[in-house]
Amino acid sequence: MKKTEIVLILLVAVIIGVIMSLSFNASTYITFADAEKRMGKEFTVIGELNKNKEILFEPRLNLLTFYAADSLNNERKVYYHDSKPQDFERSEKITMTGFATDSGFVARTILMKCPSKYNEQQHIDQDSISTLPY
Amino acid sequence: MEYIGEHTMVGNLGQAFISIAFAASLLAAFSFYRASKNEKLKLEWLPLARGAFYTHGLAVIGIIACMFTMIYNHYFEYQYVWQHSSLDLPTHYMISCFWEGQEGSFLLWTFWNIVLGMILIKYTKKWETSVLTIVSIIQIFLVSMIMGVYLLGVKIGTSPFVLIRNLEENLGLPWTEMANYLQVVPQFMDGRGLNPLLQNYWMVIHPPILFLGFALTMIPFTYAISALWKKQYTEWVREALPWTYAGIMVLGTGILMGGAWAYEALSFGGFWAWDPVENSSLVPWIILVAAAHLMLIFRARKAALRSAFALTILAFLLIIYSTYLTRSGILGDTSVHAFAGGLDYQLLIYLISFVVISVALFLVRLKNIPSIEKDEDSSSREFWMFIGSMVLFISAFQITWFTSLPVINKVLGTNMAPPLDAIALYNSWQTPFALIIIFLVGLTQYLSYKKTDLKKFIKQIAFSLILAAVLAVIIAYTVQMRHALYLVLLWATLFAAIANFEYWRKILKGNWKLSGSSIAHIGFALVIMGSLLSNANKNVISTNDSFIAKDFPSNENILLEKGDTTIMGNYYVHYKSDTLIGINKTYEVEYFDLQKDGSFEYQFTLHPFIQLNKIMGNVAEPATEHFALYDVYTHLTYADVDEHDTSNPYHHESLINIKQGDSVIYNKHFLYLDSLMVNANTNIESSRALDVMLIAKIRMQNMQGEISTTDAIYAVKNNIAQSFPGFLEDGDLKYKFLFSEVNPEAGSIQIKAYEHIDNEKPFIVMKAIIFPYINVLWIGMILMAVGTFIAMLQLFKQRKP
Repeated sequence: MKKTEIVLILLVAVIIGVIMSLSFNASTYITFADAEKRMGKEFTVIGELNKNKEILFEPRLNLLTFYAADSLNNERKVYYHDSKPQDFERSEKITMTGFATDSGFVARTILMKCPSKYNEQQHIDQDSISTLPY
Repeated sequence: MEYIGEHTMVGNLGQAFISIAFAASLLAAFSFYRASKNEKLKLEWLPLARGAFYTHGLAVIGIIACMFTMIYNHYFEYQYVWQHSSLDLPTHYMISCFWEGQEGSFLLWTFWNIVLGMILIKYTKKWETSVLTIVSIIQIFLVSMIMGVYLLGVKIGTSPFVLIRNLEENLGLPWTEMANYLQVVPQFMDGRGLNPLLQNYWMVIHPPILFLGFALTMIPFTYAISALWKKQYTEWVREALPWTYAGIMVLGTGILMGGAWAYEALSFGGFWAWDPVENSSLVPWIILVAAAHLMLIFRARKAALRSAFALTILAFLLIIYSTYLTRSGILGDTSVHAFAGGLDYQLLIYLISFVVISVALFLVRLKNIPSIEKDEDSSSREFWMFIGSMVLFISAFQITWFTSLPVINKVLGTNMAPPLDAIALYNSWQTPFALIIIFLVGLTQYLSYKKTDLKKFIKQIAFSLILAAVLAVIIAYTVQMRHALYLVLLWATLFAAIANFEYWRKILKGNWKLSGSSIAHIGFALVIMGSLLSNANKNVISTNDSFIAKDFPSNENILLEKGDTTIMGNYYVHYKSDTLIGINKTYEVEYFDLQKDGSFEYQFTLHPFIQLNKIMGNVAEPATEHFALYDVYTHLTYADVDEHDTSNPYHHESLINIKQGDSVIYNKHFLYLDSLMVNANTNIESSRALDVMLIAKIRMQNMQGEISTTDAIYAVKNNIAQSFPGFLEDGDLKYKFLFSEVNPEAGSIQIKAYEHIDNEKPFIVMKAIIFPYINVLWIGMILMAVGTFIAMLQLFKQRKP
């Protein structure tokens, strides 16, 4: 067998390894309830921020707490030990990685989807126009 | 109806230019194609083809001119202008507005393709017709992305010349029927403005360079496709090689400039975060580098031609794929800075057609591509260069595959989430790849093409390996690096740098004209070394005491009150002041060193700031102090920039229930209700108390025992209750007490206590990181660009017969 062929076989083997490994390394989006089945293990949860409940940032404790509902609409208190991101209140969907505890979900990272940044307000707001004095 | 104040002419002109550009690119593609048939047809069609391409180019420049006119003159009736610019935007950022949106960035790409197309027309000679056919076809696709026309009910592209009143969602709305809507609708007075993240000088220069890199990747692709199409399988390599190097240089510089922008202006604390948008421009670069090396193998040994074809074509297909990834909106939840969607189907169709046509052509011709039956010797340079290219390919494949997770989810219908710690995962994959590649970059310098004299080889290589090992030990000791894999990588980068220097000095006899590859390789080694040293040893010096779990970052911020000084790593930091300069709220943070005699010595001041933007949200920008050997990076993770209501400065309400004679503790003070006095005027006729006044005598005592008193009054007159607050002061601290209600059953009263906003000093929460030896990275980046440039010049020279 030619050396090039051996190299190509090795190449294919590594590529298959890469392909397979993604499914091991990728977590799955899960719900709070699933995360609570294995407390302390890290997962990714996509939640929706509850803007009616208290969003409390305590700078001295380096702690942000808020309430988020997962895809099944189960709500949990979330603890995030970092500063409150700019415009946190405007976010809708929040992707959180972290683990569940008895008192709530402890997030390592939060990634916000702010509709305002790119999409919202690109359109002229009809309500504000109809209130014009003419 | 005539609308007042609209500037429709420039838009109509622009739209006309788009139509011309599109029609001309169609004509150019067709006539270049006809001209490529044979010499006779070439004579007939070539002038027309060139003319069409020039017309196309002029029309595109016309489109750009119209857009600048609109942006510069603030014609907010246009969607693009309204959405991406505003009145207060400085002129130099108007350039950034131009490519903030999809339409503008496609135009930028189109523009560079035209520039390159003109150069190709001038210099390609016999390849002109086929190469320009393909360039013109690419231009057809690019221009169609900004057409904004409906064909059989399907929208093709989005035009930058759409009036807001003509947007689909606004059709038929009452205000669109008003002739004077521009004068009366307040939204049209100003645009939404440029995304604050893009209001940065790097964002003026980074996109044009990156898109020039994209455009340059097209040239080797067009040569490779022409070669397959015209069945001239070998000559193209010599023609395409210098262009490939140009692409490597420009695209590489563009990518690292993006890294510099992220490092200087973004807040994620580093120059590379394996973000999908970054990855999708890095991958074509890696493939292009692999393709260039395969071409070199072919040039030297007539081998590896098939792989050279495959990777050259792949590099450009990956550019289109990356365009699809970042612009279709498919990245969704996994990236913070993906464009909004809308053109996904059109892009997907282009992507699929380019992939299918190129791959089909390659497979049909594969058998005819000459290849060498004889095996390469394992001691030959070409064999290890080939291995290196394949490792590059795998490295690129891993990045692409992991970045494509949202696409895989969509195709397979799965619901996989991105890895929890993506950066660590990419690093753990890419570090071994980098190690192999960097080692080969050194090793191959000692190998000869065809066969290497092993005795000589060992003698030469031993010196570099040992010298590199000694240096690696010294550096690792200085920076205290202990991770075994990182140590090996450090050693390999030093080896690669030494090997390439030795090669240039001994084999190339120090010839500057031939120094390109050596300089570029040393640059690459330094880039890897710099990222290794600065990232593996980066040190978050702003730490607090909290602990949540092992390897769980929860303590990387410190809180600093205005006027306070606190210890941070080896420094003492002092938050001196904050000022509002234009739209930037800038904080002055001073760094001090503690001297042996206990005094503080001033070191430097950093000015991290927060760009205030009401519409798109505030953005914090870090500040970095650069030293020769390390950088101190400072970033505000939180600062209270909201304007306080000065008419009512009391806040933080607390409810206090208290009985007469009792005391409570409130905010480090004792609070006494000494007495509760009732004052009533009784109306004799109805024997009901009409006017009542309750006076709460409040006494406050601080920790030093100092006492102050006030009255909080609750009055009812004509059945209307009113409360008159009492105020107390303790030094700088101010409080307000409001008598809010009486609880007759409990025999107590309720007092609402408030603190003055000045009681709490303003504070910032910040994060500070030391990046050691990051300058090695930037020096490496410059060397890589310079080296590639020299190599490119040399290759252009060699191309001339």
